[in-house]
Amino acid sequence: MAVASIEFKGTSFTLSVLHLKTSNLAAIRADLVSKVAQAPDFFYLVPILVNIEKLDVSIDYQAVKTLIEELNFTFVGFTGSVTNEQRKLIRKFGFSFVNTTKVNTSQKVTTLEKVVTAKTDIIVEVPQRPLYTDKVHRGQIRSGQQVYAKDQNLVVIGSVSAGAEVIADGNIHVYGSLRGRAIAGAQGHHKAQIYCQKLEAELVSINGNYWLSESMEQHWGLPVYIHLTDSELTSSKLI
Amino acid sequence: MARIIVVTSGKGGVGKTTSSAAIGLGLALKGNKVVLIDFDIGLRNLDLIMGCERRVVYDFVNVINGEATLNQALIKDKRVSSLSILPASQTRDKDALNKENVGKVLEDLGKLYDYIICDSPAGIEAGAMMALYYADEAIVTTNPEVSSVRDSDRILGMLASRSRRAELGLEPIKEHLLLTRYSPKRVEEGEMLSVEDVEDILSIPLLGVIPESQAVLKASNAGEPVILDTESDAGKAYQDVVDRLLGETVDFRFLVAEKKGIFSRIFGG
Repeated sequence: MAVASIEFKGTSFTLSVLHLKTSNLAAIRADLVSKVAQAPDFFYLVPILVNIEKLDVSIDYQAVKTLIEELNFTFVGFTGSVTNEQRKLIRKFGFSFVNTTKVNTSQKVTTLEKVVTAKTDIIVEVPQRPLYTDKVHRGQIRSGQQVYAKDQNLVVIGSVSAGAEVIADGNIHVYGSLRGRAIAGAQGHHKAQIYCQKLEAELVSINGNYWLSESMEQHWGLPVYIHLTDSELTSSKLI
Repeated sequence: MARIIVVTSGKGGVGKTTSSAAIGLGLALKGNKVVLIDFDIGLRNLDLIMGCERRVVYDFVNVINGEATLNQALIKDKRVSSLSILPASQTRDKDALNKENVGKVLEDLGKLYDYIICDSPAGIEAGAMMALYYADEAIVTTNPEVSSVRDSDRILGMLASRSRRAELGLEPIKEHLLLTRYSPKRVEEGEMLSVEDVEDILSIPLLGVIPESQAVLKASNAGEPVILDTESDAGKAYQDVVDRLLGETVDFRFLVAEKKGIFSRIFGG
């Protein structure tokens, strides 16, 4: 059969999560009502998860769900960093539980048990910074030429002449002399770095922080890499 | 098939025409059939350097426009019969050339000659692009000073991206570095870039180093390419260039300043 009637695909969504700080349902109701009153249209039928990691095991899950639905939210399930027992309990009651990889750091330190629980969780679609692939340019980049590695690292096997420009959203590696301009992390990436075998650049820039030649005197003509430390450009010798 | 060699530089006044004339004549003296084309439409100079300015009747643009045949426009050199010159028009501008017609002329010349030397105008505009478009090899003429080196670098970028070979994805143009007006004494005094400096920046193979020489100006004014002045350093250096183009291995000369003799050292002469 060429076409299946169904298909499974992974997708990530942005869901509102309601964090409960107390088991007192009356207090929760009062605060929620006033919140919804500020923007009734915005909250109408909005799907939400309820984070219960700050509450006792003993709360009435059904009552929480009913409360949420009475206020015209669409109840999706519970979430939070909780023990396996609590999770099983929630599922036994017939509610869905959505795992989260986010672990509150203070809890991580204080309650070992919870940390272990969180680590054994199956990781569901962790949003990540894209991993950059490499654009490789063989040969010298001459004066007046511009090479841009969009969403990529740039590797130049050769020198970059004065008056040439190399730009990458990721890192820049120059296996030769860097005499022109090098702009790494062009779309904002503070961990981007610039590597070259001989630093004689007109300008280097990482994540919008730049140096002109005069700032490079310390390592002029040497093999170095340039990186950001606390929004300050730093050059370090490679060898 | 003829070897099409463009003599180019980006910057003006570095010695493109002088080099074209010397190398063209040198290749012809070695028994090759050579044609020199002046691509500097509107600023015709090659005819003067070659000493044939009084014999120009038709020019490159006339041929392009079909107003004259190649045979009518080509000027045979009086010294070497296997050398011809196709002069530029002095009254037109560089827009008079177009790729198709230039290609046609080069194709026709290719059937008659072994070497086609294209003397490029300065700059990176249409005229210079036209001169390098069909080239198989390029002689990048450079003076040992920073602005000339940077302009040569720019032209090297053009050779790698704007030529016919680049557009068709063929084997790239073979690049040669020709360093002209070189003065070893001034290099030693730190006033001039050295051969190594220029090679390091441009990183292309060195074809020759022509020393700064009074003989060049004299030769230009006389309309006798300097390669004919076999006594001069410049003439000898151009001869070496021709030999290297023909595949010979020749040691580089005139790279170090002449040592003063013992008497001049003692008496401070």
